[in-house]
Amino acid sequence: MAEFSTSVADKGEVSTIYLKGFLDAHTAPMLENTFSGLIDNGKYSIVVNFKELAYISSAGLGVFMAFIEKIRENSGDIKLSTMSDKVYNIFDLLGFPLLYEIFKTEDEAINKFKETKKLES
Amino acid sequence: MNDVDTVKVKRNLTALVEFSRVINSSLDLQFILNNILLTCMGKFFATKGLIGLNMNGRIIVRSSKGINEKILDSFPDITSDDDLDNNYSFTQFLNVNKIRAVEKISSSNDLVGIVCLGEKLNKSPYSDDDLEFLRTIINISASAIQNSIVLFELKRVNRVLDNRIHRLNSLFELSKEFGLISEKSTTTKLLVYSIIGQLLISKFAVVLSDGIDKHILESKFLESDLLDALTNVKIAEIESPVDKINLIKKYNRLYELKIELIVPMQLHGETKGLILLGKRVNHSDYTESDIEFIYSVGSLAIISLENRRLFNEALEKQKMEEELEIARDIQKNLLPHSIPQYKKFDIAAYNITSKQVGGDFYDIIPLNDSSFCIAIADVSGKGVPAALLTANLQAFLKIICKHGMSLSEATELINDLVTDNTMDGKFITFFWGVLDEDVLTFNYVNAGHNPPLLIRKNKIIKLDKGGIILGVMKTFTPYESPTISLEKDDMIIFFTDGVTEAMDKNGIEFSDEKLEELSLQSSALNASEIIEKIRSSVAEFAAGTVQSDDITLMVVKVK
Repeated sequence: MAEFSTSVADKGEVSTIYLKGFLDAHTAPMLENTFSGLIDNGKYSIVVNFKELAYISSAGLGVFMAFIEKIRENSGDIKLSTMSDKVYNIFDLLGFPLLYEIFKTEDEAINKFKETKKLES
Repeated sequence: MNDVDTVKVKRNLTALVEFSRVINSSLDLQFILNNILLTCMGKFFATKGLIGLNMNGRIIVRSSKGINEKILDSFPDITSDDDLDNNYSFTQFLNVNKIRAVEKISSSNDLVGIVCLGEKLNKSPYSDDDLEFLRTIINISASAIQNSIVLFELKRVNRVLDNRIHRLNSLFELSKEFGLISEKSTTTKLLVYSIIGQLLISKFAVVLSDGIDKHILESKFLESDLLDALTNVKIAEIESPVDKINLIKKYNRLYELKIELIVPMQLHGETKGLILLGKRVNHSDYTESDIEFIYSVGSLAIISLENRRLFNEALEKQKMEEELEIARDIQKNLLPHSIPQYKKFDIAAYNITSKQVGGDFYDIIPLNDSSFCIAIADVSGKGVPAALLTANLQAFLKIICKHGMSLSEATELINDLVTDNTMDGKFITFFWGVLDEDVLTFNYVNAGHNPPLLIRKNKIIKLDKGGIILGVMKTFTPYESPTISLEKDDMIIFFTDGVTEAMDKNGIEFSDEKLEELSLQSSALNASEIIEKIRSSVAEFAAGTVQSDDITLMVVKVK
């Protein structure tokens, strides 16, 4: 079985989920739990760091669709960062760049949250 | 040739070489077209220009300069086969917009496209030299245009193929995952995640039908709204995907919930469930291949869900059989292994449990040398719960018999104990009595059991005195406990309702009357012969049916 793991780090008001390994039908529920955990704790500003993600399948992509609406309703967002070309190509193929902001680095994604907060306040 | 001309030619040549270098170093179609237009417009001082390319036989404008959108929209519908010089709408378009030069871009055998240039700034007509130059430019760029078109097309096809491969991978992965017997919720999650991730959907629901009820497995719509909108929808009748147009027509209430596509989940051609989807977040429509993908994922999922259901059913059945086996063992151990024999009484008993194991019980408990207690009962319910209650009853009896209490008091106590120890409306029909050899008496209490039949001289006396059934409520009026004297050849037949309510193929019951008639006819036989006669009559009567309740018979004959 392919290995997959997630970890979460809070940087200020933004939580970053780090993905590692293979995100497929089998491991998608793990990421789902991670998202649920953050939402249960009222954390809606989420950056996902794909640096160590080797593969993502449709079921894995589905997890992002399943939570985005609720998160945006709570004036939060999921921003994606640090994708390998291979992973980016899959996101691109399915049209995700139209719906999600994708950044080269995690810091850029976090800063975008901060800028948005500043504008709002 | 004068010097000015030479300089001109040189400049033209330099420009052409530069142009050729730039054009052929790129495969970006827009860049190439842009360059052609700019070069020509710069060279001829033209204020507008456009390039149309042959896209599957139709000429489509792919690049333009100095022409507003409204005019571009009015570009006529022309094909690569049209004779452009004599095409009315095309020449009209050229005249209206003052387009003065048109040249074809041709490859070896096909029309690649056309270049159209507007009026020169100084309004002078295009000279032969100008047109010659234009043709040269077009010749230089034709192969570059064609290459970039091919590349563009390849990229597009590649993307389509990538998408296909991705979908196939998803299906392959899911089929592996669904193959494992996973929990229903896991299967549903994978089903929806794969679909919404692949097609960018945020509103969805999965509904299953078991033929009668609809079960929502997953829903981003309000469940009550969804069930409401599905009220008159017969899931089994949706045999093919329902698109937006048909939703509006046939299932408008679902469409009002913003459902734009329904795809059935089918097994062996039967629709077992529905995948209901809202619109795609990127606002594009569902294509046929999208629907095909959803259908495939749905088919995989329904197989998995069905397998899970069958597996659970088998598991449940196995559990039940094991439980019944336990119940059967308990019951068997509760019944007396042998019937004690007495000088004055000929006793025989018979019991057969039904498949589901009911709660029949009988016992014969010696009290002293000359007397013994005889009991028969039917505990409501079946299986382990009934067997356990029977075990309780037997324990109470065994203890109470040793305390020398009166039957009436003892029954009262048993009723209170059973009432305290049963829940959910369980009860016991119970009959017991004490037979005494020395004085030939039978002291009994009937707590709601089918009255045993005392046969004396071709007459039947029903032993029906007693009181309330056991376990319903605590005793509030004492149980009657008559004592009757017995005579030689008296015969008492104890039975449970399994005997009188045994049914034949037409659902008709054996009946009390038939049992009474049979009992009267059998008065000359001994105890075990009587039992055999009743047993075989009942068996014959109920031939070809499944025995639904325990059958218990006991006969005491006074010798």
